[in-house]
Amino acid sequence: MKYLLILSWKNLARHTKRTVITASAIAFGLGLFIFVDSMLAGAEKDSERNLIWYETGSVRIYAEEKADDWKKINLKNLLENPGDLITRLEAAGISATRRTAFTGELIVYQDPFPEDGSMQVRLMAVDSLRDANVYPVENALEEGGTWLQPGENGVILGSWLADDIGAKVGYPITVVTRTRDGAFQTLDLEVVGLVNTGNPVINRGTLLVDHDFADTYLLLEGAAGQVDTAFPLTSETGENVAAVSAALGGSLAGHELLTWEDLGADYLSLAATKQGGAKSILALMVLIALVGITNTMLMAMYERRRELGMMRAMGMKSWEIVASFTLEAGGIGVIGGVMGMILGALLTWFIVDVGIDFGFIIRDMDIGYRISSVFRGIWKADTFVVAFIASILVSMAVSLIPTRQALKMKVTDCLRSDT
Amino acid sequence: MISINGVHRTYQTGETEVHALRGVSLDIEQGEFLSIAGPSGSGKTTLLNIIGCIDTADSGKVTIDGVEVTAIPHNKLAGFRRDKLGFIFQSFNLIPVLTAYENVALALNLLQVPEKEIKERVMGLLGEVGLAGMENRRPSKLSGGQQQRVAIARALIKEPAIVLADEPTANLDSETGKEILDLMKKMDEKFETTFIFSTHDKMVMDFADRLVMLHDGEIQSDKRR
Repeated sequence: MKYLLILSWKNLARHTKRTVITASAIAFGLGLFIFVDSMLAGAEKDSERNLIWYETGSVRIYAEEKADDWKKINLKNLLENPGDLITRLEAAGISATRRTAFTGELIVYQDPFPEDGSMQVRLMAVDSLRDANVYPVENALEEGGTWLQPGENGVILGSWLADDIGAKVGYPITVVTRTRDGAFQTLDLEVVGLVNTGNPVINRGTLLVDHDFADTYLLLEGAAGQVDTAFPLTSETGENVAAVSAALGGSLAGHELLTWEDLGADYLSLAATKQGGAKSILALMVLIALVGITNTMLMAMYERRRELGMMRAMGMKSWEIVASFTLEAGGIGVIGGVMGMILGALLTWFIVDVGIDFGFIIRDMDIGYRISSVFRGIWKADTFVVAFIASILVSMAVSLIPTRQALKMKVTDCLRSDT
Repeated sequence: MISINGVHRTYQTGETEVHALRGVSLDIEQGEFLSIAGPSGSGKTTLLNIIGCIDTADSGKVTIDGVEVTAIPHNKLAGFRRDKLGFIFQSFNLIPVLTAYENVALALNLLQVPEKEIKERVMGLLGEVGLAGMENRRPSKLSGGQQQRVAIARALIKEPAIVLADEPTANLDSETGKEILDLMKKMDEKFETTFIFSTHDKMVMDFADRLVMLHDGEIQSDKRR
């Protein structure tokens, strides 16, 4: 076997330029695969974090009747005693807060706004004192703004929404909504702060008001739409659910728990689709690289027909011919793999340390990921290993096509050929 | 040692049938230094290929060392060639990326001879064919005559029963050709190997102990000296 390795290795050096070009095609595909895989994994990780941090929390408690249609934003089927739930959760060491989502029509008037206008909006009443225990939105306040105060009519806007309607801190806005019993209610609010978070959904459409204020004007009578909890990002969802259940006394009578995966199912399915699409494109690039290897090996086979004839005349068996070609192709795979890993490492270093700012796209278009601007990658050692091994094995596998051709040729035809 | 009985071989070239061999029968003894001669298209290369088990007869029987090779399945012939036959080609057919040593050693590698033994045998034989000190040269750094010496060493290194040489001097000048023939003769005597070579060169014909003349696929004459 050693002589076959030597022969294959030396054959690689016959046409150095051709070998390098073919290996470069593999390296390009491999490097790009490592890079995109790193970026997608980073985007997913950051998106999941921003989804949990700004939209879903770790585990959410709904009233049992609400859990089936939690996506409908209304004041029906609220939790009647969220304070009791929060007290029990906090006693078990679990951070928790109440929130209530409702809809309304936002109305703004020229002076101070640039022009009159109205739009349908989704508002979220948050516990100004506890919300930061679960959601780090307060940390994303832009300079000059302040957080909500209990019972006051302040409103926090997502920075992109504020930009779209021309709102600034101190501007008055009006929201026409309905109380819990369905009566129209007009809320006169003052913009007290703008938030610019890592989550484009929050920046694009958030209006936060104080829960006590909402309770008063929407006649909630102490009820809330949901109680959200926070666990460390690295914790297991199943364990979190068990912890919440245990904190609630093991009995969830009248309540339902939804995890962040349940609440973010739309995002998770979108992310999976995007990754599948991206990998299909990468598979196409890898295919192009493999066609390159097949072509190189076919050329090698045709160029060496007479040598092949000589070796077969000497008694070289079919498996030895196959081995010599596959080892040679594997050699190209090794060179391409090493070059690809170097290229992939350089690109990954860039995407991890610097990142790519897609803010100009995301600002005006929802691409699904919960990232506002800079996409960053993560280092994935397993991708490097798998991609390197795959480049060698697949290179060897595709070389079987020209090798089969070589074995089909008659020895006498090989010996008669000009090459 | 070699018995050829009524061998026919026909090729299809386009729509034309070419009768390369028409019932050739021939017996060759061990250690013979035999030349198959004849003009182009007489069938000498076809006969050599059939004896060398790299081509098959349409009909007739070929027996080598008591083994009827025409009855061996195609996929088993490689093993027979590996064990029994050595080849020398007109255009040397050395592997350009391997050194003289590695080209010769390849024949023993195929037989899975231990590395230490390969080294001893190859270095010894390269010395005998006049290539001492040139073992690390690649074919491109050797003259035509030196390349053919490597090819002879490669054919003989495994001490085969038969060496088949297809016009071994055709690509060499007459002086080098004579040196190669001298070397082949010397090796024939040393190893007692059967040498069968095809040629249409008068000088080569004169060198052989036995001359078989082919014409239009039939044996025209068979003379021993």
